[in-house]
Amino acid sequence: MPLPRAPHRRNVLLRRHVLAWVLACTGIFAREPQAGPPQTTPSALKRMSLEQLSEIQVTSPSKEPVPAFSSPVAIYVITGEDIRRSGATSIPDALRLAPGVEVARIDGSKWSVGIRGFGTRLSRSVLVLIDGRTVYTPLFAGTYWEVQDTLLEDIDRIEVIRGPGGAIWGPNAVNGVINIITRSSRDTQGGYASAGGGNVEQGFANVRYGGGNPDGLTWRVYAKGFTRGPEFHSDRDNFDDWRGAQGGFRMDWTKSARDSFTLQGDLYEQEDGERVNVSSYVPAFTGTADGDADLSGGNILFKWKRTLSGGNDFQLQAYYDRTNRYEPNLGERRNTFDIDFLERTRLSANQQLLWGFGARSSDGHFLEAISGLVFYPAHRDDYLLSGFLEDDISVVPNKLSLNLGGKFLRTNYTGFAAQPSARLLLTPTENQSIWVSFTHAVRTPSDAEEDFYLSSYLGTANGIEEFARFNANKHFAPELLNGYEAGYRRLVTKSLYLDFAAFYNHHHDLFSQDLTGGPSLETTLPFPEANQPPPHVILTAQFQNDLYGVTTGAEIAPEWRPASFWRLRGSYSFLHMDLKQAPSIALGAGPGMVDGSSPSHEVVIDSSWDLAKHLQLDLTYRYVSALPAVLAPAYSTGDARVSWRFNSSIEFAVAGQNLFQPYHVEYAGDPGLPVAIRRSVFATLIWRTK
Amino acid sequence: MVCALCAAWGWLQALAEQPSEYDVKAAFLLNFTRFVEWPADAFAAPASPFAICVLGKDPFGRALDDILEGESVNGRKLEARRISEAPAARACQMVFFGTTEKDILRAVRSSGHGVLTVGEGEDFIRAGGAIGFILDNRRVRFDINQAAAEDAGLKLSSKLLNVARSVHKIEMDQQP
Repeated sequence: MPLPRAPHRRNVLLRRHVLAWVLACTGIFAREPQAGPPQTTPSALKRMSLEQLSEIQVTSPSKEPVPAFSSPVAIYVITGEDIRRSGATSIPDALRLAPGVEVARIDGSKWSVGIRGFGTRLSRSVLVLIDGRTVYTPLFAGTYWEVQDTLLEDIDRIEVIRGPGGAIWGPNAVNGVINIITRSSRDTQGGYASAGGGNVEQGFANVRYGGGNPDGLTWRVYAKGFTRGPEFHSDRDNFDDWRGAQGGFRMDWTKSARDSFTLQGDLYEQEDGERVNVSSYVPAFTGTADGDADLSGGNILFKWKRTLSGGNDFQLQAYYDRTNRYEPNLGERRNTFDIDFLERTRLSANQQLLWGFGARSSDGHFLEAISGLVFYPAHRDDYLLSGFLEDDISVVPNKLSLNLGGKFLRTNYTGFAAQPSARLLLTPTENQSIWVSFTHAVRTPSDAEEDFYLSSYLGTANGIEEFARFNANKHFAPELLNGYEAGYRRLVTKSLYLDFAAFYNHHHDLFSQDLTGGPSLETTLPFPEANQPPPHVILTAQFQNDLYGVTTGAEIAPEWRPASFWRLRGSYSFLHMDLKQAPSIALGAGPGMVDGSSPSHEVVIDSSWDLAKHLQLDLTYRYVSALPAVLAPAYSTGDARVSWRFNSSIEFAVAGQNLFQPYHVEYAGDPGLPVAIRRSVFATLIWRTK
Repeated sequence: MVCALCAAWGWLQALAEQPSEYDVKAAFLLNFTRFVEWPADAFAAPASPFAICVLGKDPFGRALDDILEGESVNGRKLEARRISEAPAARACQMVFFGTTEKDILRAVRSSGHGVLTVGEGEDFIRAGGAIGFILDNRRVRFDINQAAAEDAGLKLSSKLLNVARSVHKIEMDQQP
């Protein structure tokens, strides 16, 4: 057993250690760089051949502040490179990088996503598009995130717009727009394959091949599959495993300098383990069911772009989308047809007009699985007609511009709704811009508000079963928003960029759940049912428009490059809600529910290092404040990804998500005990031909 | 512990010196002068300098001037200029379109004979430009529109065509 060293001897030893390290350090500084990448002074670059110049890797592409810089909207662009480096395995996970976006994972295959509050599993007030195709369901007015997927490698960028959208049209862009754009097939030539697995992401494989003639027709085909294990359940009931497969294609044809065409499509099928509430008017009346949701569907999209003289152009787009959902407590089949036209006309040197119109028909069949959840009528065909006009006026060229616009829409359950907006952009100097805007936006009602009967069993009173039931509200009105926003952007130095945005939203007629009647005896159900149940007592409720109030907040997103190989980005998002209920009897989801499920503070810090020619390291820190209404305490966690590029074709990466704790709850959105999200680690091997 | 960090920093600095995107693009512009043939009437006089003009917002900073310092092609001194109006491009032999020039189609047409148009982005050559830079996996590459170069009376060396990522022949529609 070694004797404890006398203190002064230990100091001597320590000093010697330090000296040795200091020498080693200076030694490293003094050493000539090994034969690594060539010197890159101008004189060195001058001497390089064309081939050598084509091989040099440049520092992460100069951030494109220009498009965002001169946009009078709070926009944040997540690039394809950001997504690949973050280790995200799904689109909602990739959205965590954007300020003002709240992403909370509910369980293995479900997320709550919101922009500036109002996050729910279905993101009802956010417009989500993939390559111009709207991916929301009118049944519940929202987006089923679990079926919005594509080959993440082939995503060019995700544009996240906080606040009511600008030229993006269509209803429900009330709190924001998420626009997922994939790369043209011209940019995805050659082969790509990746495969990997880990503890939660148990196995996944992706493959893509693209070919064609860059002068004319290029194409790509892809396929992907995954299987995912359950998250953490304290009752060990691991119902949320998830597996799926998807494939698709894209073709881009440049017929001439004037005309180009795109045709693309996807097909998917997946099984999502889930736990749902079941209720019915016959025994056993109430319970939960664990089962697989069978989700499948496909889409096909066609686009034609024509460039006219004078910098004008137009675009025509048409798509068909089919979704099938078979869940333990409901089923839905939906066909959507949509056609849109958009034209850009330059009226003069200082004025440009953007206008367009579109028509969409969405035909849904509801399949009843339990009498406690019914849509009546079961077959419904909804249509939407929309148009928009936007005038971009350069009041003082390159300094002050004004954008006036209006979206007009009409559906079969709202009359005619207008959504005007006005925006002003001031660029006092080359490196800073200020913008202000006002928008009046509308969220149209969905089947779930107008045609929906949802029952829950309360108990037995005097030997008679008692239920509470939400009844259809044919008079559910659109939700309204008057949004006032402002923003400031500044390129402080060549390596420091700041983006700041603030908003004040006045909400009217927000969705509320109200009790509308006292207990009464009911002998026949208000919707057709094969076997009418015995008489029962009913407490009636309805979705109404009784919430109103103000939400306000701000987001600041700096980006800093301390060194050429190191990029640091972050964001802080603040939200304050002051919602009230108009006199009525609230049931459950009142103002407290919305406020308590939208985080007041969010922090993201993201560090990207290019350690060497072949080594990349990305670390992300995330903080979300508490969501008491959905039983989620405040949490801090981190993700990491390190990748080695062995040669120009092969890359090996190890990624970890939710690393700080073995598991944590983000949003209790399933019946039963809250599901906690596990620490996940996985490895990927990637092969590329180009 | 402290020095593990400083050792890492030193190592990073030494190993990861990477040029910026615009350093490399400036080097490419210099190379283009050597692999493209200009017609004799592109120059005002036998001793006129060779002008590389940047139209609109200049993303190069010092990079272009540093690269062209002391360089010449066929005995003509190379010069970098900044211009703000498209018609002024007629006096240049090469025009680089800075990022704020929106109406490229109109500006390119007015550049005329003997001017090599260079720009950025996928759409640049489709709008009538001759060489368009794109970033491919953090490398600076370029696409060529041979028809646009030929319309301007320029001859592109086969070496340049081989190094390009892709070569197109996109004719401009004759629109009134």
